[in-house]
Amino acid sequence: MKKIPLYGKILIGMALGMIWGLSAESLGLIEFTTAWIKPWGTIFINALKLIAIPLIIFSLIDGISNLSDVSRLSRIGGRTIALYLATTVLAVTIGLLLVNVIEPGKFLSAEKREELSQAYASDMDMRITSAHDVKEDGPLQILVDIVPDNIFGSMTNNTNMLQVIFFAILFGIAMIIAKPDKVKPVKSFFDGANEVILKIVDMIMRFAPVGVFALLASLNIDLQLMKALGVYSLNVVLGLAVMVFITYPLILKFFTRFPYLKFVKGILPAQVLAFSTSSSAATLPVTIDCAEKNLGISEEVSSFVLPLGATINMDGTSIHQGVSAVFIAQAFGLDLSLGQQLTILFTAVLSSIGAAAVPGAGIIMLIIVLEAVGIDPSGLALILAVDRPLDMLRTVVNITGDSTVATVIASGEGELVGDKGQKSPD
Amino acid sequence: MKKIPLHIRIFIGMLLGIILGILSIVFHLGPFVTDWIKPFGTIFINLLKLIAIPLILVSLISGVSNLKDMSKLSRIGGKTLSLYLITTVIAIVVGLIAVNSIKPGNFLSKEKQMELSAKYANDANLRVTDAQKLKESGPLQVIVDIVPDNIFGSMSNNRNMLQVIFFSILFGIALIMAPEQKGIPVKNFFDGVNEVILKIVDIVMHYAPVGVFALLGALIVDFAGDDPKQALELFSALGIYAITVLLSLALMVLVIYPLIMRMFTHIKYKQFTKAILPAQIMAFSTSSSAATLPVTMECAEKNLGIKEEITSFVLPLGATVNMDGTSIHQAVTAVFIAQAFGHDLTIVDQLMIILTATLSSIGAAAVPSAGLITLVIVLGAIGVSPEGLALIIAIDRPLDMCRTIVNITGDAVVASIVATTENGFQKIEPVN
Repeated sequence: MKKIPLYGKILIGMALGMIWGLSAESLGLIEFTTAWIKPWGTIFINALKLIAIPLIIFSLIDGISNLSDVSRLSRIGGRTIALYLATTVLAVTIGLLLVNVIEPGKFLSAEKREELSQAYASDMDMRITSAHDVKEDGPLQILVDIVPDNIFGSMTNNTNMLQVIFFAILFGIAMIIAKPDKVKPVKSFFDGANEVILKIVDMIMRFAPVGVFALLASLNIDLQLMKALGVYSLNVVLGLAVMVFITYPLILKFFTRFPYLKFVKGILPAQVLAFSTSSSAATLPVTIDCAEKNLGISEEVSSFVLPLGATINMDGTSIHQGVSAVFIAQAFGLDLSLGQQLTILFTAVLSSIGAAAVPGAGIIMLIIVLEAVGIDPSGLALILAVDRPLDMLRTVVNITGDSTVATVIASGEGELVGDKGQKSPD
Repeated sequence: MKKIPLHIRIFIGMLLGIILGILSIVFHLGPFVTDWIKPFGTIFINLLKLIAIPLILVSLISGVSNLKDMSKLSRIGGKTLSLYLITTVIAIVVGLIAVNSIKPGNFLSKEKQMELSAKYANDANLRVTDAQKLKESGPLQVIVDIVPDNIFGSMSNNRNMLQVIFFSILFGIALIMAPEQKGIPVKNFFDGVNEVILKIVDIVMHYAPVGVFALLGALIVDFAGDDPKQALELFSALGIYAITVLLSLALMVLVIYPLIMRMFTHIKYKQFTKAILPAQIMAFSTSSSAATLPVTMECAEKNLGIKEEITSFVLPLGATVNMDGTSIHQAVTAVFIAQAFGHDLTIVDQLMIILTATLSSIGAAAVPSAGLITLVIVLGAIGVSPEGLALIIAIDRPLDMCRTIVNITGDAVVASIVATTENGFQKIEPVN
């Protein structure tokens, strides 16, 4: 048992859970399942929720305050960050467009959706949020709601993610502005705490096989659900494909005229590694190596742009967040307004800045997005099963995006050794 | 006033409080005491409650993350820890058995219990928990309740102690696992804050004489109304409670420890007692295992002949995580207060006492009166109003002195066992 990698165990837990869920009804084990198995799923979801707010606070503060070092470190900092943000926004938008067109959640019948939202959603939360929205319907209420009047009050409730994000950004920026020697202890505290939170995520993910088993076992699984999940997965894969085969080539063509085929060939080793590790951080050395040796990007650019990208630029993860959030909402029979979709865009971009470059962190970030639009995060149970293979694919997109931006920057700096036909624009 | 040690001042406050109580009964000053004196007692209780969550959070994180160096430092770490945990659990069970058979709270009449609980317990709270428990009574709900979905939410309510404990342990373990370089600033931060919290405890305890004065004065007034005879009833119940605590402590020192020593070591208990007597005396007069630590180590090395490599590891750790006497006291007191409020504790409640008392003994710092605050934690966990502390706070100090003796004796017992199994004795001249 020790030797099986975590995702293998999660898959096993998932398979066992499905088998249990399918057979429980016929064996008359429904009550037993509710009493003795479902609680473990609840504990798992609780643990994930528990970590969301600390993660947001520490990772965003840490992430933003790190940006200062880099923008000071190099004059290309601002441009890199802007490009990263732009590709991330693009990615989330693509994901949102696709999921709204394909509507994988609609592959579930209305009764099924009702059943799901009853089984999982602590409906209360959602109703309260929507009631609140309707009542104080001023057009700028969304903005007003983002600024909390008491940060500790906001932190005590998981539905106030945006307020916490707002405060964390404020704090992070203030740290950049404050005197460096005064801020140093604060920064190293947040650095370390961030690391600790990531370890907690690790520990929780180790519990994931049991949690996934319990969640799926207490779920009434049928073909319909599996079909919807399949369409959802295809939807994510499609979004990733659009990014890699259309958006990036266009960007490269537009800004550099660097042949895309050569680009893909150059970073293929990094992509393979990304696929097998699911971790941009672990892949980083290879990405840098590919960028320098195969693409001819100078070390000065790659050593700055790529590590930064591994931390804040996660195009694949962002696509996944957009698609998953809307899918879960659809599965609960919840119609998302334009405002809510914008909130998804906003939180997904911000949380990709905060998200660490390790496997599993994406799930927690998804909780943040879900809570921000008022969807019960228990819906995660639906997609956890297929998360790992999708995680592998989206990491490929993450590092491809990083490399694309690195190429654009290098080209703009006239540093691209192998860039035929492109004159540096001094 | 400056020169008088704190415990004497607390004692004086206690006496004055009793005098005030009796006088106000005689002169019918009840309303005055309730309006103008009692609030200072409430403030004192609030202060104690205020510090409970920060203390638990910070001391557990700091405590758990310290264990890492220990267990890495030495393979005897695990053995020591489990021995400490076992003796703590035994201690709590001893306390629970004693208090459940003696039932000091039942020395109060039924009407008195009702009256007390009406006066002190914010009954609403209790009822809410009960109702909730009934409603969601899945068999695993207890476990589900331990895992919070929002730690800041848990921290905003003193009733969620277990959730805060859960998070602190998780955080502490994660801190151990984090890369050392990154973890150090975090650890330093929590170590520092822990120190600050302990100072806050100090400050609060400086206020204790006033608080105890007000609490006792108000207690007597509340209790007796205009009838002095009823005050006697209260004091007899308190006396029985104190005797219960002392009895359990004695049971631990005179029966349990000798049995353990006999089973696991070859040291004669008489010799053992003789050897650590200086440390016991010191513990009694300071009420602080930490302050006694140097003496305990000296006794263990010189008189018992335990090697320094073992004492220097086992005993400081014990001063922090192993508090058998305190644990006994927690169990007896929690149940006594519940009895005094006419509150029947279920088996689950009693198990909860074992769990929280054990965990909080890990978190509790080795300073006087920290036990009082962890008691707030235990009471909160079983849904008994911590206001009930007012009943026992007056006689806490003498009991604190006695339980510190048990604390360091337990540490020394564990050190002897570890030394026996690790072949950790050196030659010594026999103690005469």
